[in-house]
Amino acid sequence: MSEFFHQYFDFTIMGDHFSEILEGFLRNLLLFAVAVVLALLFGLFLALLRQLPGKKFMPLRGLTIAYIDVFRAIPLLIILFLISGGVPYLNFLPKDIRIPHWFGQPDPFWYAVVALTMVYGAYMAEVYRAGIEAVPGGQVEAARSLGMSHGQTMRHIVVPQAVTKIPAPMLNEMISLLKDTTLASVIAYSESLLLGREVLAETFNSSAVMLSGLMFLVVVLPLARLVDYLIKRNQGKITRGSHIEVA
Amino acid sequence: MAEAMIRLQGICKRFGHLEVLKGVDIEIAKGEVVCILGPSGSGKSTLLRCVNLLAPPEEGEVFIEGHDICKGPGSGSGEDSWELDFVRQRVGIVFQQFNLFPHKTALQNVTLAQEKVLGRSGEEARAKATELLERVGLGDQLRQYPETLSGGQQQRVAIARALAMDPHVMLFDEVTSALDPELVKEVLDTMRKLAEEGMTMMVVTHEIGFAREVADRVIFMDDGVIVEEGPPAEVLENPREERTKQFLGLVLER
Repeated sequence: MSEFFHQYFDFTIMGDHFSEILEGFLRNLLLFAVAVVLALLFGLFLALLRQLPGKKFMPLRGLTIAYIDVFRAIPLLIILFLISGGVPYLNFLPKDIRIPHWFGQPDPFWYAVVALTMVYGAYMAEVYRAGIEAVPGGQVEAARSLGMSHGQTMRHIVVPQAVTKIPAPMLNEMISLLKDTTLASVIAYSESLLLGREVLAETFNSSAVMLSGLMFLVVVLPLARLVDYLIKRNQGKITRGSHIEVA
Repeated sequence: MAEAMIRLQGICKRFGHLEVLKGVDIEIAKGEVVCILGPSGSGKSTLLRCVNLLAPPEEGEVFIEGHDICKGPGSGSGEDSWELDFVRQRVGIVFQQFNLFPHKTALQNVTLAQEKVLGRSGEEARAKATELLERVGLGDQLRQYPETLSGGQQQRVAIARALAMDPHVMLFDEVTSALDPELVKEVLDTMRKLAEEGMTMMVVTHEIGFAREVADRVIFMDDGVIVEEGPPAEVLENPREERTKQFLGLVLER
């Protein structure tokens, strides 16, 4: 038992590497912060493309659906390798794009941002869609019969209501995204897992990796509670009968 | 004779295999109030939706102030044809379920489309909205959100919202059917005032009393066609058709 404890919870190793792992974890958070903003925007963009009306936009709708399906189906890790292993050799692209070092961040950071945005954009588009479809059709009819265009209706009526219906599922996607930032370790972005594994390779001890995991735990647990709270609050609204659809 | 405000010719509408309207002709003059009665599923609401192209008809023509609004390139979906703008700027509609925007106050419900569609300034839109909300008796509820208003109040906001666009015609789609009985009167009174002011109105309703008192003409529909039409005194008191008698008998029995 003490062997088990020593392997995973060696406080000396944790203490020695704490500041290093924490620095790595902050890089996880930075990657998360950039990717989550882009994914939220890109996901909304995809969801709106999917809602474009009429025959004219059928090809665009089809392409959007195809994109969402493809990027939900292929593992994020594979997308990550396809980008970091391929884009640097696409010589028709300018060097700044093949090997980006924008804002002082290394190229693996940007490859991970792109991969996370592409994949989580697709996931989040589905969440937005659920929200949009939960807005009663009468809302659109009312807006359109007042002369508002499709775009105005989406912007002023549908999207503001849709986003109030999806905080819980969206937070779940955000939690997944945060955890998936550790995948960037495989393309040599020195976040907490990569640093933990270096310690593991030197010492044959998992405590530094465990430390990285604990840091995620500390951040994610409150978020998971928040999701539960939001779901409960939403159900309360429905049972009280003051929910929007009932009006 | 002056061009009719609304002229419907041979309107047919299908949903899949279900034929909802089977050739309906109606002419409505400026300032006329027409009430449309009939059992559920007779196509009354669909007919209203054909007039403002929420549900464009498959066959037939809709003229509003002499303009054929159905022959545009996008008549299938209604998108991108100039007729759509033409219609929506002239025809207001009020729905059974109110459909107020729940994330906007009463005032904002009435100002939004004025600003976004008609390009009125915020100040201008607010002045117009305040005036209209006062007219429907809600001058003290401007800052309330729909969920804090009663059904009758919500429906009156919806009427003000439609009127804010300066429509030439108002469509009412069973606007009192979702209301508690004691709230029906305040909405009907608002509509009665509107009729007295000379608004052209097409009213789908189950309120026989309202039809008798306010309508210039009553149309009885069943199974996608017009069964009988005429002045309320005739149609409601001495219906010619057996089907009309039957329906009125059932409704008035209550």
